[in-house]
Amino acid sequence: MEKEEVLNGIYRCAKCKLCTITSFHPREELFPICPSGEYYGFQAFYAPGRLEILKGILDDDIEESDELLKIIYSCTLCGACYEKCKEITKVDLNFSEIFEEMREIAVEKGWVLDAHKDLIEKIRETHNAYGEVQSRYQRKEGDILYFVGCTSRYREKEISESMIELLDKLNVNFQILEDEWCCGSTLLRIGQVEEAKELIEHNIDEIKRSGAKTIVFTCPGCLMTFKKNYPQLNVELLHSTQFIERLNPNLRLKNLGIGVTYHDPCHLGRHLGIYEEPREILSKIANIKEMKRNREQSWCCGSGGGVRSAFEEFSSWSARERIKEARGVADTLVSACPFCKHNLNDNSDGMKVYDVVELVNRALE
Amino acid sequence: MILERLKEIVGEDYATDDDAICTSYSRDQHFHFVPKKKPAFVVRPGDREEVREILIFANENRIPIVPWSTGINVRGLTIPEFQGSILLDLSRLNKIEINEEMMTATVEPGVTFALLTQEAKKYNLRAAYPDAPLTAGVLTNNYLRGIYQTSVIDGHDHLLSFEMIIPNGEIIQTGSRALNRDLPYFRYGLGPDIAGLMSASPGTWGVVTELTLKLYKLYEKRSSYFIGFEDVEKSIDLVRKMAREELVSSCRLVDNQSWLIGMCGSFEFEYDKLPNFVVCLLIDGLDGIFQAKDKIVRELIEDSGGRLLDIPESFKDNFERETLGGTERSCMVFGIRGNYHCIGLYGPLKYVPEYYELHRKTAREVGIPEDYVYFYVNPIARFHGQLCYVELDIFYDGSDFDLAEKLKEYNKRQMKNLLDLGIYGWFRPYAGIIEPSIERAGYLTELWKRFNEVVDPKHIMNPGKLW
Ligand SMILES: Cc1cc2nc3c(=O)[nH]c(=O)nc-3n(C[C@H](O)[C@H](O)[C@H](O)COP(=O)(O)OP(=O)(O)OC[C@H]3O[C@@H](n4cnc5c(N)ncnc54)[C@H](O)[C@@H]3O)c2cc1C
Ligand code: SF4
Ligand code: SF4
Repeated sequence: MEKEEVLNGIYRCAKCKLCTITSFHPREELFPICPSGEYYGFQAFYAPGRLEILKGILDDDIEESDELLKIIYSCTLCGACYEKCKEITKVDLNFSEIFEEMREIAVEKGWVLDAHKDLIEKIRETHNAYGEVQSRYQRKEGDILYFVGCTSRYREKEISESMIELLDKLNVNFQILEDEWCCGSTLLRIGQVEEAKELIEHNIDEIKRSGAKTIVFTCPGCLMTFKKNYPQLNVELLHSTQFIERLNPNLRLKNLGIGVTYHDPCHLGRHLGIYEEPREILSKIANIKEMKRNREQSWCCGSGGGVRSAFEEFSSWSARERIKEARGVADTLVSACPFCKHNLNDNSDGMKVYDVVELVNRALE
Repeated sequence: MILERLKEIVGEDYATDDDAICTSYSRDQHFHFVPKKKPAFVVRPGDREEVREILIFANENRIPIVPWSTGINVRGLTIPEFQGSILLDLSRLNKIEINEEMMTATVEPGVTFALLTQEAKKYNLRAAYPDAPLTAGVLTNNYLRGIYQTSVIDGHDHLLSFEMIIPNGEIIQTGSRALNRDLPYFRYGLGPDIAGLMSASPGTWGVVTELTLKLYKLYEKRSSYFIGFEDVEKSIDLVRKMAREELVSSCRLVDNQSWLIGMCGSFEFEYDKLPNFVVCLLIDGLDGIFQAKDKIVRELIEDSGGRLLDIPESFKDNFERETLGGTERSCMVFGIRGNYHCIGLYGPLKYVPEYYELHRKTAREVGIPEDYVYFYVNPIARFHGQLCYVELDIFYDGSDFDLAEKLKEYNKRQMKNLLDLGIYGWFRPYAGIIEPSIERAGYLTELWKRFNEVVDPKHIMNPGKLW
């Protein structure tokens, strides 16, 4: 965005702080919504403070400091603030996008966190965010391509395994790129646009070569990156829950008889507007109960936007807050994002955490 | 050395001189009138003892202190005027105690209207609400002598007593607190009304660390009506009757374009198709009493010559909820053009047509487009002196610096015009509003300054915000 446009947007911020809580009426219960603000406390860590700091950066009126870097990079880019603001005060800026742009400016100025430098190095070497030796799948048939993504490939493997099993059970012919690289999301979210370019180009070439007509993602971060940062590929892009919903009438699912609550991943919900498909599916296989903070006003798991790699304590606190909320509602917490599952599971204190595809796979008769 | 001492008092994590953190407290939406300025330090005390130690230290070293509770005052009141200021972020002090028996709440500075509503509701009680977003501080709002226009019947004064720490570290308890801190429920205790003297001040006496305020009963029975008028005189007639008879809980006269949006809670409506002026009424009460009031109000509406408007039920729900449970949607006024400027004043209802005319005339003279110019009025119980709060609003785009210059000229002219026409007073004092009034107030301002001098001889408390 042009500097002028951003500044004009910032001038619209009334500092009302409505973006720090969920909608109060009609429930009349107070719930915070901005993880970084709640954790760090100073105004700088809430959206209105960050906007002021962005203005300072654009006006060249701010000194570099560790604290400045913490403010810039501790935002999970969850977008909860914007959902609230756009309804009421209508600051004409999409905050998760604008706070990401703030990082791009920071990177140009050389303001990069050490933790992120390590991450960049890992991706350069291994083409995945975990620095793992690349694992390969031999799946090469059909118009449908399953893009696995780094987290379900290297950390939350049950998700990719369940997805593959599920597709097999349904006799879906599908491919997995033999040489799938990180989609670039991790780098883009921390402002490393240049670093992500090679990954994107590589994946585009591979996808073109595959001839796929539909790409299915279990990772909403990858899906969002394809939609937002990749050029038009003339390929249909679907999240696993959308894909499963599409097959719905042909699916024979048994009810697992468990009580679950659903955690909306920020990328899937607020950023892509996919709220209902996961709920539709879950309601067929389990008894679903909502947490008080749900859909647009869901509390972020705390891992996104490069936060988990750089601010582990804060990221874990954020996940624990979500676990606490979920525990009051159900025994099992279900999400539809490997990265959410990763962070929630690591901080679950014994609570069961699954991805939707894991449960669907179990429920398939 | 300053930072070290602050950290010693509040702990490493709660004091900083970081440029970025200071920047985040350096500007609010009133920036055309109060320019951006960074504090040199931000400190977040965790209890009153820490507040006290900070004040003593600042006083000894003549360091300006800017108290900050939630920073939503829309008048630049927490933007420092002087280099080297300490911004005292009080949001960590957020204890709240509801006393059902006494119908009161005792709050610390970090308690917001949302938190108070949540807690009071458990006892079927509610606060008196300003139109400020419910993220704003309850203590500050009551201490600053807010205007509680959502519910006229509650009247003007909800503050019972408070505790204030002054620069030398002494602690003042006002009203009945002075004799017994456990009995903070009466405004007038020993001697003069110190709460009255020291309230409505932008942090220029000391720091209020605890405040007790009145709560009111919540009734389930409610109804609301929106009545449209083409001319302001007729609408005022209905307002007058409502206020005199004390029939309604809420009574607001607004134009059809601005605050009405927030009251209805939606941008999506053809407001411009409504009559120019809309009177919004809310009735509540115990069952039988409610029925009786509702009947009389409907009769008065019928006789008023106004048109009962067909407003969607969801709008009425929003109006009722926010009137008696705190406003979220009032901030939609910022969504109209991005910023709003207002002159808030008290005056008699019968002057309203003249205030309105003057508002439009002055705006026209300085070149502010007609469709930027709006207003709102509400009577205040009890209605002696036809007491009304009147707000002369201009909704504008904050990034339009040319228009901001016109606004400054508007302010200058309009304040003089209003003083010449006759007003009861301004909505709470601050530098921009006191200046044009000083001459008229004569020795009063001199006395005020002298009192202030006694309490804050080194002028460390938010200097520059009054004079
Ligand atoms: C859309 C909108 C509508 C509004 N409508 C109304 C309305 O109808 N009625 C109304 O009354 N207000 C209204 N306001 C104004 C404002 O939000 C409130 O008055 C609010 O209560 C200010 O409180 P705060 O906690 O944000 O104070 P702050 O901004 O933190 O502080 C305000 C002033 O009080 C001083 N201060 C802060 N804490 C203390 C303390 N503990 N001790 C001593 N001094 C202190 C500060 O230094 C500053 O000078 C409105 C605001 C908005 C945005
Ligand atoms: S809701 Fe919007 S206008 Fe209000 S403080 Fe947040 S970003 Fe600013
Ligand atoms: S995007 Fe999320 S973490 Fe960042 S400021 Fe907004 S609510 Fe807070």
